[in-house]
Amino acid sequence: MDANATIERGVGFARSSTGASIVTAFGAVLFLDLVAKLAGVSLGPLETPWFGIWFGGDIAVGQFAGFIWDGIVIGVVIGLASIGLSLTYSILNFANFAHGDYVTAGAFSGWAVTYVIAGIGGLLAITESAVNAVTGLGTYRLEDADLVRLVLLQTAPLEAGANMWLSPAAIVIGLVAAAGMTIVLSLILDRLVYRPMRDADGISLLIASIGVAFAVRYLVALVFGANRRIVTSSEKLPSANLGGVIVDAHEVTLVVVAAILMFGLHVLLQRTKLGKAMRAMADNRSLAQVTGIPTERVIKSTWIIGAGLTGAAGFLLVLSQGGLGFQTGWLLLLLIFAAVIMGGIGSIYGAIAGGLVIGLASRVSLVWLQGDLASFARPTAFALMILVLLFRPSGIFGGVKTA
Amino acid sequence: MSEHASREASLPDDEAGLLAVRDLDAGYGDLQVLSGVDLDVRDGEYVTIVGPNGAGKSTVMKSVFGLTTYMGGEIRFRDEPIHELAPEQIIHEGIGYVPQNENVFAGLSVRENLEMGAYILDELPQDRLRDVYDRFPILEERESQTAGSLSGGQQQMLAMGRALMLDPGLLMLDEPSAGLAPDLVDEMFDRIDRINDDGTSVLMVEQNAKEALRRCDRGYVLANGQNSYMDDGDALLDDEEVRQEFLGG
Repeated sequence: MDANATIERGVGFARSSTGASIVTAFGAVLFLDLVAKLAGVSLGPLETPWFGIWFGGDIAVGQFAGFIWDGIVIGVVIGLASIGLSLTYSILNFANFAHGDYVTAGAFSGWAVTYVIAGIGGLLAITESAVNAVTGLGTYRLEDADLVRLVLLQTAPLEAGANMWLSPAAIVIGLVAAAGMTIVLSLILDRLVYRPMRDADGISLLIASIGVAFAVRYLVALVFGANRRIVTSSEKLPSANLGGVIVDAHEVTLVVVAAILMFGLHVLLQRTKLGKAMRAMADNRSLAQVTGIPTERVIKSTWIIGAGLTGAAGFLLVLSQGGLGFQTGWLLLLLIFAAVIMGGIGSIYGAIAGGLVIGLASRVSLVWLQGDLASFARPTAFALMILVLLFRPSGIFGGVKTA
Repeated sequence: MSEHASREASLPDDEAGLLAVRDLDAGYGDLQVLSGVDLDVRDGEYVTIVGPNGAGKSTVMKSVFGLTTYMGGEIRFRDEPIHELAPEQIIHEGIGYVPQNENVFAGLSVRENLEMGAYILDELPQDRLRDVYDRFPILEERESQTAGSLSGGQQQMLAMGRALMLDPGLLMLDEPSAGLAPDLVDEMFDRIDRINDDGTSVLMVEQNAKEALRRCDRGYVLANGQNSYMDDGDALLDDEEVRQEFLGG
């Protein structure tokens, strides 16, 4: 093909889809700029009447890779949390606004268990140091024992924390507890609120779920208090510097656990009878009923699986970020919705992909949004969602029903 | 054969067979659609329900399957009352149902659709799967394709195949020819004939009344949610009144 034909095709594309060509051009400029930044080439400032524009600049490869890793970490956790929302949306036909608070409930219940278990270690240490004080036996001294670690309830910010290295058992059991408690919570709420209105329309269910969201959020605040607190510690936490990217054990744990859970869900949906029934119900609920699929039992399993993953996501989110407050999940909900909508509402693979895109966009955009502009990282993720929807209104995986 | 088709809807009690509907009132919520409907299907029989739009033909079928609001009367299958059972229990009793529209799981593969038909069993019945594949070879060819990618006729076969997975005593078909290209309609009716020849009783609602009455053993004409006529299919076709009123002359 000769150059003229190529140019003609390009001009044709620009004329027929102006929006797409502007976006493509903007993306290309950003990409070239990124390459220039990574190569350390800078041009500018190019004088314009209002301000100077810098092209290129200097950004370390390691720093860029760090943004990508951070994006993957946050993206994976958003993706994991989005699966539950997507499942309830496709199988129960409503947008569950309480979903973010399921994340919070999972995080709090899991970390409370982690603290109690990590605290047992502390309790043993206190006992041992008391024995030491009286008898002089043993090596542990009273000043080494940290009573504050005992219970999450009374922990002041920055005063104590559990971590994967010092108390791995506590973390693992906490993760399981987070999933378990969220499952129990979701089944109770389904029985009390959603099941009596199973055949109601989506709007009524959505409004009910907003009520549930408030109830759960302030119940958590009532029990655990309204202070935000740091619950992990980085004391002796192994971390590796991979070409400038600092990767710590908590982030690795998060990514590995989330990947295992996602793969497990994939196998469940594609290979097991229950998973196929869930996909069938997502496809066509009334047909599922006349086919003989016990719909109520499938709905219960949907809550169990969705809530379990959601609780785990809440726990892992806190593991990687350290902080925990009663609004943690609520603040995440918007990102979760963005991921689910971007991926194609109702598709779990779309939710995972959407989570990754949202996570990556919110971190990689920091390449350009430096200093004060960094607070625009989140809006950038949403802007990207809007862009995706402009060109693919039903989302990345839209129209592909996968449950 | 009588000059006029019978207006008596129910068979004598000693002839009542597989399915016996007596004096059925049913509808949706507060809206009553059927009043006093009688219907029988004997073992091995092929029965069709015809009638104008809105006559309540599909509602009869849905009522048998427990999908409407029951308002009175009797529905007995193999001499057991079934009007209080949920659809999955009715399937267990031996009734298969193929709804009219969107009757396959579009996102599932052909094989998965068939597996769903046997959901209530612990194990997938391999012999039934074999039987369905023998009956509809195209389904075996397209086993791993998604149902949504099949043509209308193939989807109809898949929907029937799914209902046959449990080897039901009675197969209920709601407008199996709807939306099919004309040349496929005959083929579809031939397949239904064969299912019936192999011993499965068939209850069918059809818009294509003449063809349906030609094929069936016995027909019911329904109008305004009530029985109008009942007789052998051919007798109904020959009946002057029925032809004038319902078959367009």
